[in-house]
Amino acid sequence: MEQPVTAAIVEDHPVVTEGVASWIRSDPGQRVRLVQTARDLAGLRTAPGPPAEVVILDLELSGELVIRQIPGLVSAGYRVVAFSGHTDPAIVMETLDSGAHAYVSKEEGRDHLVEAVLAAAADRPYVTRSQAKAMLADQRPARPALSQQEQQALLLWFQGMSKASVGRRMSISENTVRQYINRARAKYAATGRTAPSKDALLARAIEDGVIKAGEIMSYKSFARTAADPPLGAPGH
Amino acid sequence: MTAVQPKTLQPTAMMSGRYQRAFTIAVVLLVAGWHLAGAGGQLLHNRTDYGSFAFQAAMWLIMALAVIAGSVLVLHDVPGWRPAWAVAVIALAASTAAAAASPDARMLAVNWAWGSAGWIGVLVLFRRRFTELAWFLAAEAAAILAVQVGDGLHRTDLAGFLALLAWSTGAQVAVAAGVRALRLAAGQAAAAAQSEHAARERAATAEIVQAARHARWLALQESAVPLVAELAEGTADPGDAQVRIRCAVQAARLRRLLAEGDEVSGSLVHELHASADVAERRGVAVEIETAGPLPPVPGPARRVITDAAIAILTAARSRVRITLAAVAAGIAVSFVADTGAAVLLPAIGDGVSIEHQQDGAMLWAEARWNSP
Repeated sequence: MEQPVTAAIVEDHPVVTEGVASWIRSDPGQRVRLVQTARDLAGLRTAPGPPAEVVILDLELSGELVIRQIPGLVSAGYRVVAFSGHTDPAIVMETLDSGAHAYVSKEEGRDHLVEAVLAAAADRPYVTRSQAKAMLADQRPARPALSQQEQQALLLWFQGMSKASVGRRMSISENTVRQYINRARAKYAATGRTAPSKDALLARAIEDGVIKAGEIMSYKSFARTAADPPLGAPGH
Repeated sequence: MTAVQPKTLQPTAMMSGRYQRAFTIAVVLLVAGWHLAGAGGQLLHNRTDYGSFAFQAAMWLIMALAVIAGSVLVLHDVPGWRPAWAVAVIALAASTAAAAASPDARMLAVNWAWGSAGWIGVLVLFRRRFTELAWFLAAEAAAILAVQVGDGLHRTDLAGFLALLAWSTGAQVAVAAGVRALRLAAGQAAAAAQSEHAARERAATAEIVQAARHARWLALQESAVPLVAELAEGTADPGDAQVRIRCAVQAARLRRLLAEGDEVSGSLVHELHASADVAERRGVAVEIETAGPLPPVPGPARRVITDAAIAILTAARSRVRITLAAVAAGIAVSFVADTGAAVLLPAIGDGVSIEHQQDGAMLWAEARWNSP
């Protein structure tokens, strides 16, 4: 059996910390081990215990958004999974652009947090429904161009279908659904500011065959030249 | 019909105010002009006839001050009878004193003050009840007559008195009545304009309310009324689950019809929330999410979508996720619900197409509206 992934929680509400801990404990495979808890980012540095691979970060600590602290955490070698009550697409996008691996809203926590932590530890993409919503709502000129299939898979996933149902709907396998959604996520990792976490995610996506190196390159040049690619424009 | 803005009421009132002020200024100019040119001219012309020109001039000055005081009163709209009557009485006293000090035999011929006193009365009293001015003018005529009687009243004097009375008082009464009528007319015009505005506004509102009511009534005729009739006749049994579902659907539709009225942006979201309300009361968890800026959806298309929403919300056992997403040419409204079995979805139309898929107990349905 593999070693469990080590995780830390940075959360200013003890009740939420307790809830997250219980989700982690109730995972049948015990795939995640909580090694540190802190009420703020300074506390994470001084907290006892071995350093964690993944930080579950509440975006709002003591009433302040800490999205800008994410690049610092990423540079320090952490993988960050944002866990927040916010579902505003702009905040989700900013968080991912800052180098967070995944975004889990508090409503989605029970179903998605452990999976998101595991994916982050492996540098694999993980797309929650709130993340899919932010990608669908994205109107920025610099947004990546998603293929129609990617767009459709994201839409159905956002709508609340299971990935198996999305597959049936699109007449593709569940695995292909995952591939489309992850590819959309990888395209986002290739945009905006650079971060070691995004590079790692992209490298893993290429390694896993989610996306081809050439796709990223051609996409990047497209993003630089196209002022405002239409939503739903086919990719390459 | 566009909504009438309440702002438009104010200019009519202001317009009436402007007219009234113009009339006041006209009266002030008339009275000042008369005292300066008419009375002053006569005083200078007959200056050698008076026993004491200085006394007559002093009386003229007192009355000039009365004109100024009266003008200030009316131009500043000073309320109350005391200041107005004070000025009037001063003018009357000065006029009577001037008449009494005039040479006995030619009093009426050289009298300059009678006219001025009358005009000052008009100036300060024209805004008050008409009887007040009448009393003042009568008192002034009586005072002059008394002076004349004291000087000795001959038939010719009486004729001269009556001629002067007719000329001067007649003109004053005519001007006062005219100004009064004009002021009244302006006030009435303003009031009429105001009430016309109000009436138009009421009519427009009534029209909108009526149209909305009619649309709701028509919608209810098709569905709620037969159900209520069946319940009343006893042909529909409230103990029957199917009847209860029909009631729940009609309650949701009523709610939606009420929500339809408000023209808020994103009213489809608003209507879906209203539809979700009934399901939530049943203990069904409803989440509504939107992605992207949503285009406005026309009323008939919204109705097809909310009908589908109501059917699914009614059939849901414990949870429904409703999402609205902007898609290439319109909007995709989807429902994921644990309905258990297939749900009979309403007819499509008005640019809306509906697709659905059942996966075990879970229903997925998507209503798409494409902008034409």
